Amino acid sequence: MLLYTFKRLAYIAVILAVMSVLIFWATQVMPGDVAQMIVGQFATDEQIRAVRGRLGLDDPVHVQYLRWAAALLRGDLGVSMMMDRPIGPLIEDAILRSAVLAGVSIVLVAAIGIFLGVYSAVRKGTAADHAVSIGTYFFISVPEFFWAIIVILLFAGYLGWFPATGYAPMSDGFGTWLQHLVLPVATLVSGLVAHVSRLTRSSMIETMQSQYVIAARAKGLPEALVIRRHALRNALVPTITVLAIDVGMLMGGIVVVETVFSYPGLGRLLIFSIEQKDIPMVQAGILTVTAVYAMANLAADLLYAFFNPRIRYGNAVAR
Amino acid sequence: MRWPASLVAGSGTFAVIAACALLGPAIAPFPFDEMNIMARFLPPGATHWFGTDEFGRDVLSRLLFGARLSLLMGLGATLFCLLAGVPLGLAAGYYGGRVDEAIMRLIDLVISVPPILMGILILSMTPPNPWKTAIAVGIIYVPIMVRLTRAVTLEIASEEFVLAARARGERAWYILGAEILPNAWPPIIVESALRITFAIMLGAALSFLGLGVHPPASDWGLMIAEARPFIAEAPWVAIAPGVVLCITVIAVNLIGDGLREILDPRLKRGRG
Amino acid sequence: MSVPVLAVSGLSVAYPAALGWLHALEDVSFEVGAGRALGIVGESGSGKSTTALAVLGLLAPEARIERGEALFQGASLFSLPDAERRALRGNRISIVFQDPFGSLNPAIPVGRQIAEPLVLHKGLPEVEAAEEVRRLLAEVGIANPQEIALAYPHQLSGGMKQRALIATALACKPDLLVLDEPTTALDVTIEAQILDLLEQLRRDRGLSMLYITHNLGVVSRICDDVCVLYAGRVVETGSAESLLRRPRHPYTKGLLASLPRVRERKHRLAPIPGRFPDLSAPPPGCIFHPRCHFAIERCASETQVLAAGVRCWRAEELADAAWQAPAETVPDARNTPDTSARALVEVSRLSKTFQLGGLFDGMRLDFSGGFPLKFEAPRVQAVDGVSLSVAPGEVLGLVGESGCGKSTLGRMLIGLIEPSGGSIGIDGGTPRQSARSAQIIFQNPDSSLNPRKTVEAIVGRPLALHGLASGDKLRERVVELLETVRLSSAYLQRYPHQLSGGEKQRVGIARALATSPKFIVCDEVVSALDVSVQAYVLNVLADLRDRLSVAYLFISHDLSVIAHIADRVAVMYRGAIVEEGPVDAVLRPPWHPYTEALLSAIPDLERGAGVQRIRLRGDAVEQGAQGRGCRFQHRCPRKLGAICETETPPVVRAGPGHTIACHIPIEAKAA
Repeated sequence: MLLYTFKRLAYIAVILAVMSVLIFWATQVMPGDVAQMIVGQFATDEQIRAVRGRLGLDDPVHVQYLRWAAALLRGDLGVSMMMDRPIGPLIEDAILRSAVLAGVSIVLVAAIGIFLGVYSAVRKGTAADHAVSIGTYFFISVPEFFWAIIVILLFAGYLGWFPATGYAPMSDGFGTWLQHLVLPVATLVSGLVAHVSRLTRSSMIETMQSQYVIAARAKGLPEALVIRRHALRNALVPTITVLAIDVGMLMGGIVVVETVFSYPGLGRLLIFSIEQKDIPMVQAGILTVTAVYAMANLAADLLYAFFNPRIRYGNAVAR
Repeated sequence: MRWPASLVAGSGTFAVIAACALLGPAIAPFPFDEMNIMARFLPPGATHWFGTDEFGRDVLSRLLFGARLSLLMGLGATLFCLLAGVPLGLAAGYYGGRVDEAIMRLIDLVISVPPILMGILILSMTPPNPWKTAIAVGIIYVPIMVRLTRAVTLEIASEEFVLAARARGERAWYILGAEILPNAWPPIIVESALRITFAIMLGAALSFLGLGVHPPASDWGLMIAEARPFIAEAPWVAIAPGVVLCITVIAVNLIGDGLREILDPRLKRGRG
Repeated sequence: MSVPVLAVSGLSVAYPAALGWLHALEDVSFEVGAGRALGIVGESGSGKSTTALAVLGLLAPEARIERGEALFQGASLFSLPDAERRALRGNRISIVFQDPFGSLNPAIPVGRQIAEPLVLHKGLPEVEAAEEVRRLLAEVGIANPQEIALAYPHQLSGGMKQRALIATALACKPDLLVLDEPTTALDVTIEAQILDLLEQLRRDRGLSMLYITHNLGVVSRICDDVCVLYAGRVVETGSAESLLRRPRHPYTKGLLASLPRVRERKHRLAPIPGRFPDLSAPPPGCIFHPRCHFAIERCASETQVLAAGVRCWRAEELADAAWQAPAETVPDARNTPDTSARALVEVSRLSKTFQLGGLFDGMRLDFSGGFPLKFEAPRVQAVDGVSLSVAPGEVLGLVGESGCGKSTLGRMLIGLIEPSGGSIGIDGGTPRQSARSAQIIFQNPDSSLNPRKTVEAIVGRPLALHGLASGDKLRERVVELLETVRLSSAYLQRYPHQLSGGEKQRVGIARALATSPKFIVCDEVVSALDVSVQAYVLNVLADLRDRLSVAYLFISHDLSVIAHIADRVAVMYRGAIVEEGPVDAVLRPPWHPYTEALLSAIPDLERGAGVQRIRLRGDAVEQGAQGRGCRFQHRCPRKLGAICETETPPVVRAGPGHTIACHIPIEAKAA
């Protein structure tokens, strides 16, 4: 298990290194001249040259990359051009706020999705199952950005229950903080709950037909016990993989949701800096997201290994 | 063979939407970019069935025009995904070893960035253009197609009829094209239908973020984005494209489910 | 006479099918007497598993019990409320399924799964249940119960799993034990161990058993009474002794005549012609009449009831008639293989090592020296220095258990797998160069034909590929090939899903014959087929050998099939050949201890034929690097001592063309 974790970490490091090259290269070909943007439209050629020299923009690309990468390894993410402040703290604040959003959402997605999936699998073919199926069918087909607008219109506009946009720190009081969280979370969660519940349902149904579930029935176990002890745990193992995929979808969703709800997280920061052509910020932002995503996947894989005795205990055949 | 109800309903709905997209300019009551300051934010009525937007443009006409771009992004992305993903998956599954290793490591790179952010990374480099959005979305979903094709190929390549073909000295292209591919299609087609729905939604989301289509042209995603500031006074401008988008996605989902019912041998197999 | 433990009468069960209902069981009646074992025998589709599930109340929800009654110790089972039925299951009636690999929950330690019925039905506290589990595991012959109880299923071998499942079924001391093909998924030496265990349990516990199987040899070993099922109908019942010796129903006669036997080798088997009936539209009259040599007009119109244990109008008059091989299969004199000529296939010191997993799987932390991170993928030596030869027109049988490397060897000969070492010469060339003269036939009829192609396209492709025929000639040649395997031209436009298992296998043979090969590797070609169909395919293969002088490498785990068709036999164990020689020499002493064990493991029809039972120790076929000494030392019942652990056994000549790789002196083995 330790060795496995170590292997995965090493591989993540390789992926991040390659991605850093790709990200750096991609942002280099972004339209617009950085120096021009810093000094403004009416600067003289001399001023532009001075800025280019200071930033080392005339060096070959690989030299620029190595300089940037070396700084990264020292923990220096660079300086935002538009805000003229170090990127590190900016991203740190944003990422914490995004993490709140993501954390609450993924917990809800897992809890509600798994519950609905198992519930409808166990009641396969009943009215309740059909209701859940139709509901999830609908929610899986509504894109987040449209859902966000409907939710704002309904709960912030007509009903006025929650604020339409913005963010309140915990220091403003727990209630206020929570109020600002409700709509973004609801938006993020809706589609993913549907996704998780559909896949949990099919995995659960498949498990219920497996030979060991029939064998458990043959022992005379009551159906509730068969489900709880023999089907549930095995059916949830694939769900872990689904949740890992959903973390990716969630991180994409956060970009949209933060933009719509003007929630000052990492996603909005990223979109903002792309609009403003703030290249160092874009580079640092995407690399950070990649790193976080890789860690989330690692966590999912470890969880998977933990739930799967085949991996946890190896193959030592007891003879 | 009888078509399942979901396939009939889905393909019927989708056919109507596709026809609207194709005939868009011909059947639209107004040019999509004709502004009329006097007719701003008209609610749905007899002249403007779906109302007008902040420039007094007819929402229905814009919807019809946007249909073309939205579908183009969804279908184009899926096409790209198939053209790139299926050959790579076949190669990875059939040749295995180093080829497989190389392809799968490449795939790991693409999936190391979450979907929308990968789109942002690809699209932020150059000015927006619907074709580019389609390809970006296609690239994002290539890994899923590769993995699926690879898994199916692996399964079929170990079947005895493929071994028999190798034993009689068939070339790789014949084995891949005549023995493996005809048996690999069903799951790939079902997955493609699912990809179309995801691609339409992701394409619209990227447009919504300003990374898809260039104004004044507009797809459904950008229409919603443009209508967002006026959501309180003129909700129809945002709701119309949103509802059409959802209907399209549901229609394609139904097609996918119907195809799965017909094509998935696991659902067909009786008891032995 | 006491009340039978189980009495089933007039049971009919149907499943919904595409058109109407599929009548899986029709008017099935049988009894299991107290302390007796009843064998239910049938081929696939006979409804034998449905019978077991119906008795336990585990039929799929869509199945329908149309008529009939099942009395358990005199009390009706079908009228019991669900809760009371459940209270019987795993308690007074328990079952062991066919598939030990899928029947244990992968996420729960084995011991806790065995304890479940004890806790549930007997109300034992966990601690006492755990103790009882260890006792049960010891009873089913597990040497280290403590350790096994705590293990997870994937850590156990198939035989161990089946023992654990038997322990589960025995936990509550059931009155009736139902066994549904409990040894079918296991290797023959493991099957022998499990059968020994079941025999012993019957003796010790006086168990009543309902034993479901397709294997008549197993029935002969385990059961007192037999009930033969065909297409959901009981065609014959009686005591095992008399039924197997003097079958009365034509189907039973056919089944016995289809069976290849090690000790009684015949030129041709007598298969049952025709196809299994469609149970959603069964033929009128006797369900077997379309396939019966003895059928008369009456059989096609009137259904006979089970009278005096047999369901046949002509049972009386046919009492002494034997099931006949169809006239067309009686062969011309066989061309004897030309062993003096140059060998057709010449294999020398052939090896194959497989690497498991990719680069990352091979990553190891190793602090023994050098850089601590090492990349070394685990390897498996599948074939280890095998030499053999096949003469033109000769059949070499290759026998061994699963994982011994026999398929890998066969595939290397055809060029499907690249060898790691050694040389192969086929008809004077490499396998690649000999693609036309060396061909292969596979095991699984469902996977050997491309489901998207017609029979004509499948059989015609090799001809087109090698430019052997085209246009009208191509079709002519395809028809000819189909005729060689006794299929008519009506099959040309059919797709594989429209063929039966035996027909598919014959199309596979026709495809292999298309290029007129001199050598064919037959890789478990009849293992997936029912006996009656298997006999038919074996006859076709024997005809080809005799008429076309094709040489075979005939790979099988089944020694009786090999003994039937082969001229010479090679016995393979963990990648190497341990004994090789003419069939008659290998089947009698002196022999390698492994060959001896394989032979004595075959459940035989002749009861108590006086064969000494040799059983192998352990059951795990180990993978991985081969250590020092004899590869069979860990399981050998006749291990000599240190010499077997340290020195590779010499290959000793035991007779003309007969070699044995063993340390035991020939004279001692002959004894």
